[in-house]
Amino acid sequence: MYDVAIVGVGLHPFGRFGDKTAIEMGAEAVAAACSDAGIAWNDVQFAFGGSADTDFPDAIVGLLGMTGIPFTDVYNGCATGASTLSVTADAIRLGKYELGVAVGMDKHVPGAFTGDPRVVMAPVWYGEIGQFLTTKFFGMKINRYMQTHGISVQTLARVAAKNYRNGSLNQNAFRRKRLSEEEILSSQMLNYPLRQYMFCAPNEGAAAAVLCRADVAHRYTSRPVYLRATELRTRRYGAYEVHSSWAAVEEQPAPTVFASRAAYEAAGIGPEEVDVVQLQDTDSGAEVIHMAENGFCADGEQEKLIADGATEIGGPLPINTDGGLIANGEPIGASGLRQIHELVRQLRGEAGDRQIGGMPRVGYAQLYGAPGIAAVSILTA
Amino acid sequence: MERRLLPRRGILVSWTTQEFLPKEPYAGDETPETFKPYGVGLVQLGDEVRVEARLTESDPDKLQLGMDMELVVVPFRVDADGSEVLVHAFAPA
Repeated sequence: MYDVAIVGVGLHPFGRFGDKTAIEMGAEAVAAACSDAGIAWNDVQFAFGGSADTDFPDAIVGLLGMTGIPFTDVYNGCATGASTLSVTADAIRLGKYELGVAVGMDKHVPGAFTGDPRVVMAPVWYGEIGQFLTTKFFGMKINRYMQTHGISVQTLARVAAKNYRNGSLNQNAFRRKRLSEEEILSSQMLNYPLRQYMFCAPNEGAAAAVLCRADVAHRYTSRPVYLRATELRTRRYGAYEVHSSWAAVEEQPAPTVFASRAAYEAAGIGPEEVDVVQLQDTDSGAEVIHMAENGFCADGEQEKLIADGATEIGGPLPINTDGGLIANGEPIGASGLRQIHELVRQLRGEAGDRQIGGMPRVGYAQLYGAPGIAAVSILTA
Repeated sequence: MERRLLPRRGILVSWTTQEFLPKEPYAGDETPETFKPYGVGLVQLGDEVRVEARLTESDPDKLQLGMDMELVVVPFRVDADGSEVLVHAFAPA
């Protein structure tokens, strides 16, 4: 198997953009990634494109150039971005191609995701009586976690305030206004104990990466970032996940735990070696739980770590340095590649006002979503 | 598929509240003005299974992990022809 390097990244800002289509945003992200890699679209041998609401991500060739390359569309729930990255990397790892593009794009209507519960194997009545709600699951999960592991509501507010603060330093972020912990704690309760400003919002945006075989990366950049692991896992029997209408009595860890362990093993890297982290902060409680599920602390240690500022840009364990989902929103197809974009910028020392200190070497990204799917990617400078 | 009778009583494993009016496919007849928050819980029935259901209680001060719960049937909505639609829920026992 060949090693894989990321030699270019590009982003279309996240937010709301009127009549502009996801295809147009995706094409701009790819053009930016190609420019970053110093290549032309004609050089790209293949591509994968991720989206939830755009049926044909490959339609971006109409804007970039109809070069006839194989271009495969990907949808994998909230793990779409990481899945797109993973299959692009695999095509290079297996030696089929030398250089390709992973792109994600989306354009969602405002408000919580909904639809027909049967698409996630939940019964029709589950939606009719008002339980088919993603936000409700996150309320249930963090409520129990807080009471079991001694996490305070103030910690939830601290995490959200930190992500808005990081977003205010990111010109591509959706929400760039700082919010105080008091403002967050006085926003509308949506699903106890989670309030409006503790949640991310579905929105619009695109992100892309140019990947190549590691042994040719020097042709494109003097600072390649190596993709050391991309691991995806689904839920096991006994896990209580988004849209579970029931669960077994014997509990199993969440799929993130298994994806994380597999990624550390594949990369030969442990959590103590990670310098910069991107976690799925669908809500601020999810960021707290995911710190432990990804091996960065024991259950309950988040309370002190976050109070001490450990997860701030200047702290020893910087998390969601670009503002995460809370400040960027979640265009599903693009979200995971936004994480990769930020990690690459950080590992190259190009993150500007958001740049973490020292010489970061290892970046870590995690996604989680319905109906119980998780993906973890590990990158090294 | 085999039918199996589950216990009516159980233990509250976790809970939250639903404090905004859900979008479709929600079939309640409330409007944003008449909507009242409801509780949702994960209830463990004996050592058989955990089920997610509405709770009759939505006041966080009156809900605790591990508390005993009992299945009840409560009004959900009134159809156009005046017939009342009921729904299952768990109440503190």
